[in-house]
Amino acid sequence: MASGGDDAAGVGGTLTRRAREAADGDAAGLLLAAAAVAVAAAVVSPVLWLVLRAADVGLVEAVGLATSPTAVEVLVNSLLVVALVTGGSLALGVPLAVLTVQTDLPFGRFWTVVAALPLVVPSYLGAFAYVSAFGPRGALADLLAPLGVRIPTIYGLEGAVLVLTLFVYPYVFLTTRASLLSFDTTQLEAARTLNHRYRSAFRRVVLPQIAPGVTAGALLVALYALSDFGTPAIMQYDVFTRVIYVELGAFGQARATVLALELLCVTAFVLALESRIGPEESDGYGSAASSSTVIELGRLRWPAMLFPATVATFTLALPVGILAMWLLRSGPGYAGGGIAFDWAFGLNSVSASLLAALVTVVLALPIAYYAGRSDSLAARLSERSTYVGYAMPGVVLALALVFFGTSYAPGLYQTLPLLVFAYVVRFLPQAVGTTRSSVLGVDGDLLGAARTLGEPPRGAFRRVTLPLITPGLVAGAALVFLTTMKELPATLILHPTGFTTLVTYIWRVQEAGYYGRAALPALVLVAVSGLSMVLLLRQEGTDG
Amino acid sequence: MTDTDGSRSRRRFLAAVGAAGTAGLAGCQFGSSRTPSRNVAFSDFRGSGPLVESRPPLEGTRLSDLPELSGELDIYLGGGEGGLYRDLVTLLENIYPDFTGRIRGYGAAEGANTIITEGESTPADVFWSVDAGSLGAVADEGLTAELPSEVVEPVPETFHPNGQWVGTAGRARAVPYNTDALSSDDIPETVMDFPGASPLQDAMGWGPTYGAFQAFVTAMRVIEGEEPTREWLNGMLDAGITEYPDEFLVSNAVAEGEIAAGFANHYYALRVRASRPDAPLDLAFTSGDAGALINVAGAAQLAPSDNGDLAQTFIRHLLSAEAQEFFATRTYGYPMIPGIPPVGGLPTIDELNPPDLDLTELSDVQPTLELLRETGVL
Repeated sequence: MASGGDDAAGVGGTLTRRAREAADGDAAGLLLAAAAVAVAAAVVSPVLWLVLRAADVGLVEAVGLATSPTAVEVLVNSLLVVALVTGGSLALGVPLAVLTVQTDLPFGRFWTVVAALPLVVPSYLGAFAYVSAFGPRGALADLLAPLGVRIPTIYGLEGAVLVLTLFVYPYVFLTTRASLLSFDTTQLEAARTLNHRYRSAFRRVVLPQIAPGVTAGALLVALYALSDFGTPAIMQYDVFTRVIYVELGAFGQARATVLALELLCVTAFVLALESRIGPEESDGYGSAASSSTVIELGRLRWPAMLFPATVATFTLALPVGILAMWLLRSGPGYAGGGIAFDWAFGLNSVSASLLAALVTVVLALPIAYYAGRSDSLAARLSERSTYVGYAMPGVVLALALVFFGTSYAPGLYQTLPLLVFAYVVRFLPQAVGTTRSSVLGVDGDLLGAARTLGEPPRGAFRRVTLPLITPGLVAGAALVFLTTMKELPATLILHPTGFTTLVTYIWRVQEAGYYGRAALPALVLVAVSGLSMVLLLRQEGTDG
Repeated sequence: MTDTDGSRSRRRFLAAVGAAGTAGLAGCQFGSSRTPSRNVAFSDFRGSGPLVESRPPLEGTRLSDLPELSGELDIYLGGGEGGLYRDLVTLLENIYPDFTGRIRGYGAAEGANTIITEGESTPADVFWSVDAGSLGAVADEGLTAELPSEVVEPVPETFHPNGQWVGTAGRARAVPYNTDALSSDDIPETVMDFPGASPLQDAMGWGPTYGAFQAFVTAMRVIEGEEPTREWLNGMLDAGITEYPDEFLVSNAVAEGEIAAGFANHYYALRVRASRPDAPLDLAFTSGDAGALINVAGAAQLAPSDNGDLAQTFIRHLLSAEAQEFFATRTYGYPMIPGIPPVGGLPTIDELNPPDLDLTELSDVQPTLELLRETGVL
């Protein structure tokens, strides 16, 4: 992130700077810094295992592996996917967030849930649905064949980008939404009274305020696209994760970790790029969460629903339709399944995900707060380092934790706490990003005022900061919850024995090719996640 | 579950593949043989449907001949045929009230990688995996214990190399083809002739990221040598072969007519037909070469485990006549003991003519990967 942001000259700026220095200075500040650094160190620890493992590969071989023509091609492919998916997600996520937060769109809350929900569709299911629908000899091709229409192939870069964009744009949607909720609409109203049209007011007032949130979402999208395996695998597009997967399948763990380290270098590059082009940070003017209507859509009110409805058609209706088709088509022929489907799997998924969401948000708080309030190198490093686990392919991370669990915490290995820790390592930046953008929206002057009035730092935090950053915390929790619901590799490798979740059950019935059997639990996954989302959004205490 | 009553076609196993349900049918050769100590009937283990209606007399070690299972066993399952292996463990738990099989499911490679990463601290007693390569990888790390001869003796030598693991069911490489597009004469006898076969131009599919496919290419490397394998791969690419994520999808694409033929394990075609009994799909087998490879699912006792006796008794149960009948009739796999024939008109193992190959060599996948990368297949 660009440092500074104290460009606002004058007293306000000075006060703000003082508030920031306070964050670095006093005892509470030190404690905060220590907590942030400790959390960061914990989530970066799996990299040690990567380094240990990669050391088994000779330097010559490692360099050869990393610079082979394949590796270069894979690098270019990966960066292409990242760039295109990020662009596409911004184009979908930001307008949807503005529409659901700032306008009088009918059924706003419903559309909010619908816009966030695609995040629960596991990428391999999404990709399968698209291949079934738009692939050669898919449903659409069959439909158009009599008319002599040939559709372009969905395989390759186009398919990978399309499917990833449709299922990860909610990152941008949710982080932007959180920023908009923390956004002080009075400024916008002021701009409007000065006769700015909404569009220019948006550019001059809203955008600078929500930029950190949007960027946080874009970064999550970019790094998710980098570390996702399911979609490129099914779309047959060669990216890092695919090569790593093949290495692991050939028991070349050492070589796989070399590639994973290379992937982390690319991650570092993306992070660096983001801090180059990231937004200038400015302080907010603390205001309570608000989703009051600022744009009257007027005659466009009802037609405006077409946009979220169209997106939902492609992200939810289509995969659910394909799943339903599988369900009907599966017919006779198979009655295995280890154990029949049990609603307890849904309960397991929900409880593990809730636990992960809670723990992650609590651990994200010191890091987000420290990074939002201090420009020190330690602050920036601890925030950036949370992205490491997130950008690592899940299997590699899970194996690293297997090593740590068996070597250093045998009592915790294959227990729920270690599994939750794995989720924290994987998904912490989702909560840090959203919380931090809310922290940036907190006005330093308000804190200063509270302190002047004799509140101790803790009291000031509880009475001023916490209410202001709640939307960010809730958005972070929602993100972590939804992604934990569908997380597969770490769950498979680290779950407590006998602890079956929806996703491990889906995996179990589909790994042998019984896709039809996966349809029901997959539909349940989407439904349960949707219900949970509604409950989470309730907590925002707003009526969208 | 309904049993479809398909018309008999040229190959008997293509007469409708029925539901491999849990409802046992009467008419097993042994009758419901019950021993006073254990209520075991073949029908509990057998699948159902037209494929299974007329099973020949079966031979093999019966469960009642084996020591009882008792205690808790930690089983790492690599793959597991969509949960069917769990069903078998549940059956055994029902027979032995004192026995609990604690199963953790993984992919075959994930299971092996997990055990290798755990090393000496592995909590697992048994690694039961659907792929010989993953068993070989764990054995190569010195993490498997040698199985005594009374455990492995019912199984042909090929399927228990060095006694480090033992095969539990076989999977044959096959060529699923679309009967609307090709006749069986269009499929060459040997796999090395595929690239030049004119009916197969721009009409084939494979799943090169799939473990069983890599095992097949590894076998080709071992049998034919590096260079001929490279030429073969390039030849297939030149012939315009299409890539799929896995072999179920290859078989499915053949049934859809998206491609005319493909490379896949034999049972995927049976499963496609199970869900769509009228699919124009048949299986061809090559002969004596890598294309006729029989890979196995197998089980290993893990060396760090201190539960060796129970692990061995469990593995012996997997090789009992009842369990082998389970694999034959429910997973459409090849039984590992001679007394149990495969189902539904599948050619028997001795009719198949697989290559003469040490299956442990299949864990040497690394050079195969390099080859697949250099040729651009991966």
